[in-house]
Amino acid sequence: MSNTSYFDLFDLPPAFVIDLEKLAANYRERARSVHPDRFVDASEREQRQALERSANLNESYRTLKSPTQRARYLLALRGHDVPLEATVQDPEFLLQQMQWREDLEDLQESGEHAGIASFKAQLKKARQELDDAFEQCWQDDSRLAEAERLVRRMQFVDKLSQEVRQLEERLDD
Amino acid sequence: MALLQIAEPGQSPQPHERRLAVGIDLGTTNSLVAALRSGVAEPLPDADGNVIVPSAVRYLADHVEVGRSAKDAVQDDPFNTVVSVKRLMGRGLADVKQLGEQLPYRFVAGESQMPCIETVQGVKSPVEISAEILRVLRLRAEASLGGELVGAVITVPAYFDDAQRQATKDAARIAGLNVLRLLNEPTAAAVAYGLDRQAEGLVAIYDLGGGTFDISILRLTRGVFEVLATGGDSALGGDDFDHAIADWILAQAGVSSDLAPGAQRTLLKIACDTKEALSTTESVALEYGGWRGSLGRAVFEELIESLIARSLKACRRAIRDADIDAQAIGAVVMVGGSTRVPRVRQAVGELFGRQPLTDIDPDKVVAIGAAIQADTLAGNGRDGSELLLLDVIPLSLGLETMGGLMEKIIPRNTTIPVARAQDFTTYKDGQTAMMVHVLQGERELVTDCRSLARFELHGIPPMVAGAAKIRVTFQVDADGLLNVAARELASGIEATIQVKPSYGLTDGEIARMLEESLDKAGADKAMRALRERQVEARRLLEAVAGALQADGERLLDAEERAAIELQISELQQALDGQDGDLLARRTKSLSDITDAFAARRMDASVQAALAGRRLDDIEE
Repeated sequence: MSNTSYFDLFDLPPAFVIDLEKLAANYRERARSVHPDRFVDASEREQRQALERSANLNESYRTLKSPTQRARYLLALRGHDVPLEATVQDPEFLLQQMQWREDLEDLQESGEHAGIASFKAQLKKARQELDDAFEQCWQDDSRLAEAERLVRRMQFVDKLSQEVRQLEERLDD
Repeated sequence: MALLQIAEPGQSPQPHERRLAVGIDLGTTNSLVAALRSGVAEPLPDADGNVIVPSAVRYLADHVEVGRSAKDAVQDDPFNTVVSVKRLMGRGLADVKQLGEQLPYRFVAGESQMPCIETVQGVKSPVEISAEILRVLRLRAEASLGGELVGAVITVPAYFDDAQRQATKDAARIAGLNVLRLLNEPTAAAVAYGLDRQAEGLVAIYDLGGGTFDISILRLTRGVFEVLATGGDSALGGDDFDHAIADWILAQAGVSSDLAPGAQRTLLKIACDTKEALSTTESVALEYGGWRGSLGRAVFEELIESLIARSLKACRRAIRDADIDAQAIGAVVMVGGSTRVPRVRQAVGELFGRQPLTDIDPDKVVAIGAAIQADTLAGNGRDGSELLLLDVIPLSLGLETMGGLMEKIIPRNTTIPVARAQDFTTYKDGQTAMMVHVLQGERELVTDCRSLARFELHGIPPMVAGAAKIRVTFQVDADGLLNVAARELASGIEATIQVKPSYGLTDGEIARMLEESLDKAGADKAMRALRERQVEARRLLEAVAGALQADGERLLDAEERAAIELQISELQQALDGQDGDLLARRTKSLSDITDAFAARRMDASVQAALAGRRLDDIEE
């Protein structure tokens, strides 16, 4: 395992709020040098290295591009891993979670487009609030538990957004 | 010393000659081969000036016809004449029945569950039939470019699954082509369009061909073509328009749909001609089996409305997946012959809220894009700033888990190459084996997904349920082809599979076909093998010389350099002789001794080392 972080790789400071344009531009530049297309007549070993590096580059890019993944990765860099699956008590958020679940179920029955749009807007707003809150606390050692809680909430909102997308797809049939 | 250097036929007169590489659009209805000549990518014509080869193959007792003459025989000799074979690639017999159409062939189940066709020359698989088309294109290219090809980029629908891609690659091998890359058709079209128009920003490619439909949304940034999302239907195309018209004619004429193969072909031909005529006229007069009538454009549009709707649905999904607003798309490019239908253009225009671009030849643009990519991959004019294509997988890849459910490991629209691992565990005490069932698709139930492969991991040490940790790694290469490996972490027991789909050919079958095809071409195999080795040796020598010049000083010490130079001179000596085995051995020696150098160069080229998992410990 190398100690170079994904942020180093893209020449970015390890932060939650990052320059996404720069991330994309640096990704494209790195991809040019490692993509298997550059090694079509190289030895088998070189081709394998290119495949491996390219896959790693894509994975790093994907991680930093997504705010949730980025937040989780930042905590991991600080030695604080957030396991993907774990049931954690978050009573404050629980009520909100249940409310959203209920709303989504109603929408799944009614298939009402205006309702879906306003639900998506709600999720977007919640997402923004989570991002803002995380930015406030992730660097503070005394608030790591809070930061972890926020990452879990982000994961929940992502999952819900994914379900809304599936609902939209189903309604499109 | 000779004043004049005369090159022998087939040998390069000089080491830095342009390497011949072509792009091939292997279409459902038509195929083309294109190459870069004098800096311009263009389709290569036959002696009569035709660039299009109809994708039709006719088997006669003593020879095979491909193209126009085969297409013309389709009504008279329906059993031995195969058209639209692309629709059968990578499919099983059961899938073919589900295509919902009567195909006038005598199908037999092949060794590998492929829908094989009985012909006067025996049983032929879709892969072999496709190889006949590819062979004709290869010969055309070699004749017009005047030399052997380094390789070819072959296009496939973006929505092709793993089995269909593998089948296409196998067909190319049988046709004697070195596949530089499988390239998605809409991405190829985007390259041709983007370079021609100097386009930047978001572009949508709507590609409706004879048998397949693709939609891709790309971001173009200074030579980088990044696919954001792709979608489609690998069984939707102009052929379906023909079938809709044919069914309508039968209903109007009051004729049973149970037609003899020849009669069915005749009807489909009438339907296809009618469809084409309706792109420019409002109504077409028809006569069939004593019935006389006409088909107007409005009725035709009703007949195909549900088919167009299917394509639009895929477009909306791709827009959602790309996570963009439709308004942000700067250009919608129409590709494929079926986009000539006015209603298709209108519907696409309405969906994207802008007039789609129809001024690029929809039949040629894919082959042209493939030719540009082939030229780049062959190493011609490489300067570090040329095009780079970043493509995605069209369908999610995953595994069967408890309860017949599909667990996604790599979601659709993930950029390739990609490697991802997931851990599973045993569910019974003392369980010592685990079945790994690899799936492709979007649905939750295993039965609704495509089964790609099954393999077993044996020898797991007996433990209580849930204690074993089995890591399954999926790796998709730049051709979009999948490799899967499974390993029990405590014991290190592992199993790896190059996913050879249930409907694929076995390596033995490919070897046999390859041999047959070489015999048929009348090629002297030994001579050909020697030639290939010479090409390979020259390629390596050139690559090493370039690397030494660029980085030799910086990355090698004197001893290492001397060792490499010794191997170079030995390989050069072998090149002057006719001993193919010696040549192969020395090529390998040079390749081996320069491996470490190559690795150092690559490390240096990526300034920061990439962190993360290594594939080495998974694959070996």
